[in-house]
Amino acid sequence: MRGTAAQEFLRQSVEKTADLEHRRIIRWNIDNYDTAVNRGKSRFADWQAARDRCQQVKREALARLDDYLLQFEKQVVARGGKVFWASNSEEARNYVTELAVARGVKRIVKSKSMVTEEIHLSPALEKAGIEVWETDLGEYIVQLRNEPPYHIVTPAMHLTRLQIAELFRAKLPDVTADDHQSLVAAARRALRKAFFSSEMGISGANFIVADAGMIAISTNEGNGRLCTSVPRIHVAVTGIEKVVPRLQDLAVLWPVLATAGTGQPITTYSTLIGGPRQPGEADGPEEFHVVLVDNGRSQLLADPEQREVLHCIRCGACLNACPVFRHVGGHSYGTTYQGPIGSVLTPHLRGQDFNHLSFASSLCGACAEVCPVRISLHHHLLENRRNAVRTAGQPWKEGMGFKLWSWAMRSASRYRVLTGLARRAARILYSMGYEGSWIDPAAAWTAYRAAPAIPRQSFRQWWESQDGKR
Amino acid sequence: MESASQSSREAILARIRAALGTSAGAPSAPVAAPGGIFPPIPNPLERFVAECAANFTELTVTANRVETVEVLARILHELPAGEIYVQDIPELRELITRADGKDVTWSSQGPPAEACQATVTQAEALVAMTGSILVSSLGCGGRGSSVVAPCHIVVARVQQLVPTIEQALALVKERGLPARSSFVGLITGCSRTADIEKLLVIGAHGPRRLAVVLQQ
Repeated sequence: MRGTAAQEFLRQSVEKTADLEHRRIIRWNIDNYDTAVNRGKSRFADWQAARDRCQQVKREALARLDDYLLQFEKQVVARGGKVFWASNSEEARNYVTELAVARGVKRIVKSKSMVTEEIHLSPALEKAGIEVWETDLGEYIVQLRNEPPYHIVTPAMHLTRLQIAELFRAKLPDVTADDHQSLVAAARRALRKAFFSSEMGISGANFIVADAGMIAISTNEGNGRLCTSVPRIHVAVTGIEKVVPRLQDLAVLWPVLATAGTGQPITTYSTLIGGPRQPGEADGPEEFHVVLVDNGRSQLLADPEQREVLHCIRCGACLNACPVFRHVGGHSYGTTYQGPIGSVLTPHLRGQDFNHLSFASSLCGACAEVCPVRISLHHHLLENRRNAVRTAGQPWKEGMGFKLWSWAMRSASRYRVLTGLARRAARILYSMGYEGSWIDPAAAWTAYRAAPAIPRQSFRQWWESQDGKR
Repeated sequence: MESASQSSREAILARIRAALGTSAGAPSAPVAAPGGIFPPIPNPLERFVAECAANFTELTVTANRVETVEVLARILHELPAGEIYVQDIPELRELITRADGKDVTWSSQGPPAEACQATVTQAEALVAMTGSILVSSLGCGGRGSSVVAPCHIVVARVQQLVPTIEQALALVKERGLPARSSFVGLITGCSRTADIEKLLVIGAHGPRRLAVVLQQ
C-alpha cells in the first residue's frame, strides 16, 4: 500500500533525526532566521492585518484566474513577448528545450525558480547538450554538489561555511580563504563569466501582475537582474496560480514576502518585467517568453476544500516553523517543495504516492500560524490523511486494532480483563528486555524512547485499595 | 509546438473555468486599503535617510547643484580606473563635466560593458518607507545600468521622494510605465546574500556600492 517513496522517507528521517550535527546546523540557521523575522515583523503596524490583506488578494486572484491570466497575456503579447501555456511538466520542458535548441543556445544562466525544479528543466536542457548555470548562491552550491535544493528559500541551509569552502576549493580555481566574504566573492567571479557568455537567461516569477501585464521577481543577489538583462533571450517559467490582480497589491505582498522569507523589509531587487527590449531602451533581451505551468494546479482549484493551498507565495516560513522539518531535514521529503506546504501540495502534483508525508506531522499548527497568506496548513494535512484512507484504505493492523478496541470498550468486564492482561504481558516482555523489539506492539515508539515504568496495579485496583483510607 | 500551445491554452482555461464554476469557492471579499498595515511616515526625508543607513545605501544630501557636481566628482575620482556608463540625458551630460579623465560610455551607445567600474543614472522616484530607488529601463538608461557595475550612482532630487511603496507603484501607473518600459525595478540597498549560514554578505552579483546623491 505504501510505495517506495514512503519507505525512503522513513529511512532518511530516521537517519537525519539521529544526526546531531545536521540538527545543530539547522537550528543555527533557523535561529538566525527567527531573529531577523521578529525584527522584520516589528516594522509593521499590524502584521495580522497584512496577512488578512494578502489572503484577500490571493482569494480574489483565484476567483477570476482565467480573466487575469488573459489580461496578463494580452499585454505581454502587445510588447512583443510570447506566452506559452503548458498543461504539464513535459510540455513546459519541451517548449524551453526546443526553443533553446532552435536558437542555437549553448549556455544558460538560471535564477532561482522552484517551478523549474518541479518540472525538472535543467536535466532536459543538459541532455540537449546545453550548459546550465544556477546563479543564486545557494542553488549554485547545491548544483556543484549534485543535490536538489534543501529548502525552497535557502537551498544550502544544511551546509556549514567550512563544508562550502571545501566544495569551492575542489571545484573553483581561485579560492583563497574560507570566510563568508571570500566564498561569496569566489562564486561572483565564477558566475560573472557565465552571465556575460550565456545566450539565454531563465527565471521564475514570484507574481504575475494582471493589470500591469508584468511578472514580478524578487532577488537579493542581483543574479535575477543579470539573468533577465544581459542574455539575448529571457524565459520566465512560473505557475498559473501566481497571479495578483493589481500592481498596487505588491505594496503589501512585497514587504510580506520579504519579511516572512528572510526578515527583510523588502527584497533588494523587487523587479517587474513585461517584455523584450522596447523602442528607446538602451538594452534588454531581444526575446521574452513566459511559460505558464498548470501541472495539477487547475485540479487543485477545483477542490473547494483545498483551493487556498494555491495562495502560497513560497516564502518558506512554514518549513522553518515545522518541528518535523527541523528534525528530518529538507532532503528526506524527496520532493521539490518540502515541509508542511510540500506535504500538502505534493499529492496534488505527483499523486497518491506522496500521501505518507501528511502523516508525518504532529498537527501542532505552527505552520498555519506563521503562514503570511493564512493557509490552514494543518487542516489540509488532516484532509489529505482522510483522502488517503478513502482511496487506499487503512493498514489492516490499524483496522484490526480499532475493531478490537471498540469491542473491548463496550463491556466493563471485558475491558478490565483485557487491559489487565495487556499490562501484565508488557511487564513480562519489558522485564525480559524485549522493549522496542519486533515483538513489542509499541515498538514504533519504544524503539527510540524509554517506555514509562508499567505499574503493578491498574488505576481501578489502586482506587479500590484506597477505599478504606478515605 | 505552436499548435500544442494553442490546445493546452484552451484546455487550461477550460479547466480553470470548470473549477471556478462548480466549486463553492468563497466569494471575493472587497479588498481593504493597506492603510493601518504600516506605521505612518511623518517625515519622509528623515525616514529615507534612516532607511538608507540601515540598508547600506551611501546617501549624500546636497544643498544645490554646485554641491551635487562636487560630490559626484569626488565619488568618480575615488573609483578604480576604468570606464563609467552614464544614462544619456542632457541633465547628466551637464553634471558629468569633470569625469576625471575617465572614459564615459553613454547609454545611447548600447548596453554597459561587463568591465565598467560604475554606472550613473537618474531615478523615477525614491521611497522613504524602505529607502528604495525606483528605476525603469526607459527612464533610467536601461536594465544593466542599475546592476552590471560594482558601483551604481543615482542622481536624484528631494522632490522625487514619495512616502510609501504604494505611492511609488501608483506613479508607475500614472506615468504609463508598464506599457512603455519593459523593466521597472524597486532597488533597496546594494546586492547581498545570506545563503551561507543565513549570515549577511554585501556584494553578491550586483553592485557592492549604491551611492545616492540627493539634491534638495
